[in-house]
Amino acid sequence: MAKDLAINTSIREIFYFLSILLFVFIVLEIIWPNIILAYFNLNYLFLLCFLGGLISLIKK
Amino acid sequence: MIKSFWLKWSFLFKFRLFLGLILFIIVVLFLYLKIVPFGRITYSRDYTAKFNSGKGFIYSFTPAERVDLKSSDAPLMIGDPIYFSLFTPRTFDKAKMTIVYRDNLSLNKPLVEAGVLVDNTIWRYDLKPIDNKGLDYLMLTWHKIEENGHLFLQKNDNYSSLAEWEKDLARGELKGCESGPENCLAVYNYNPPYNYQMSNYRTAVPIVLDKPLRGAHQFYVYLKNEVLRLDMSFVDLNQGLKPAPIEIILSKDNKTITTRRVDDANLSPGSGLIEEKQILIEEKNLAAGVYKVEIKISDDVVIKKIISSVDRLAFINKVWPVSSNGELTLYTDADYLQVKALNPASLQDISFGGQEFNLNETYRQFDFKTSAIEQIKKIKLKKDDVILENNGVFAWAPNSLFNPSLPKVDRFFSVKTAAKYIVADYKKPSEEEGFKTATVEFDLKGAYREKGKYSFMISVPGLKIEDSTKDNLEIYEIKIELRGRTLWQKIWQ
Repeated sequence: MAKDLAINTSIREIFYFLSILLFVFIVLEIIWPNIILAYFNLNYLFLLCFLGGLISLIKK
Repeated sequence: MIKSFWLKWSFLFKFRLFLGLILFIIVVLFLYLKIVPFGRITYSRDYTAKFNSGKGFIYSFTPAERVDLKSSDAPLMIGDPIYFSLFTPRTFDKAKMTIVYRDNLSLNKPLVEAGVLVDNTIWRYDLKPIDNKGLDYLMLTWHKIEENGHLFLQKNDNYSSLAEWEKDLARGELKGCESGPENCLAVYNYNPPYNYQMSNYRTAVPIVLDKPLRGAHQFYVYLKNEVLRLDMSFVDLNQGLKPAPIEIILSKDNKTITTRRVDDANLSPGSGLIEEKQILIEEKNLAAGVYKVEIKISDDVVIKKIISSVDRLAFINKVWPVSSNGELTLYTDADYLQVKALNPASLQDISFGGQEFNLNETYRQFDFKTSAIEQIKKIKLKKDDVILENNGVFAWAPNSLFNPSLPKVDRFFSVKTAAKYIVADYKKPSEEEGFKTATVEFDLKGAYREKGKYSFMISVPGLKIEDSTKDNLEIYEIKIELRGRTLWQKIWQ
């Protein structure tokens, strides 16, 4: 039970982390275009974030 | 102590702290890559790699029709030139480009050059040599000296060093060159300490060039204790949407003497309403010698008229006559002509050096080579609006024609010419199992950068899609090492 709670919390926290990371990256991109996109595609991060949110919702 | 501190916090807090730390590290890493605090960074693109190819910085080649992406793992350059952009997070001072390629070019395409865009008004690229098969061949057959990064080739072993040769050149007396240094010397990517002297000098007379020329042009004028007065009239066609400023640069030996600029308020972009503009350059007490006048304008501007105080006035490499009535006659010193028509109404038969050549397609560059032996060749156009280019000079009258620049070891250079000495700033590319690697360095201080991107060009003069040969340049990798000011230099200097 406690283990499940820890997993659920971790998934939720990872979702929050990915959301904040995506937000920060978008803000950085707006300030300095191509600072992130030159290195990697934000779509992958968005997809990860979306999956994290979905799993978090299912687990809840 | 640390253990008790660590145990005091909940799992959630510690996990959040951990993720927060990762977020901080990622943001700092991207800021580091943006600022490049040590002023040095390298970007590379491996064109055969499927992943991690580096395409975020070095963009794909354009235009797409000049690159074949299907026939090989690496892109094949099949038309000249091709361009690519380099995104940089900040400005840099120097770029060292290393290119790995396979040369599938025939001998009539001996040059490979790369350049960075330095002027976006006239689309001028600062070109550097990658490969020159003509020089590679002469290195094997002529006497070779490499001194101070320069390549010095002699047909006969007359000099033991380049310095000794340069001393003789400054005096205008080269061994074995009785007819003057300009007749037995060729250069490539190098400007020797040489002052052109006109052999058949006569007092200048004023001339009026009233045949309109479209777009950027450059010309030489030769002065000897004369006043230089250039009264130029321009017409802004206002066909394009961008502003069309006019800039004139008068220089001698690459040193600017004076500039004139007329900005364009761009009040009626794309309207087709013409605007007339005037620029006057008057310089007294100029030392005798050759002066270069660079007219930097876009193709939306026409040079309507030039009233010059000197008649020794020769256009460099290119002329684009427009809006003239009737036939046009020009003169050039080169034995080939590259001709392009943009308008179907300009298709015609061109007489060059007494021979007829057919210009029968628009937007295609035709190469016409004459077998005429005269030094000055006549070009007769029945219609205007054709772009004429070569590596020589053009003039409206044979008396005006003079060419102070030395012959270049380009794709039209022949070892059968009178050249006895060649000086070049060139390093042969290294070759391993058919793959060639060449390195060139560019000065980025004056380079044009837009939206964080520098524009580069790779050129193989003479390489054409439509010539139905299988010639191509197979590009495997491009690596660009950038150097600039460090963060501390930016803050304190």
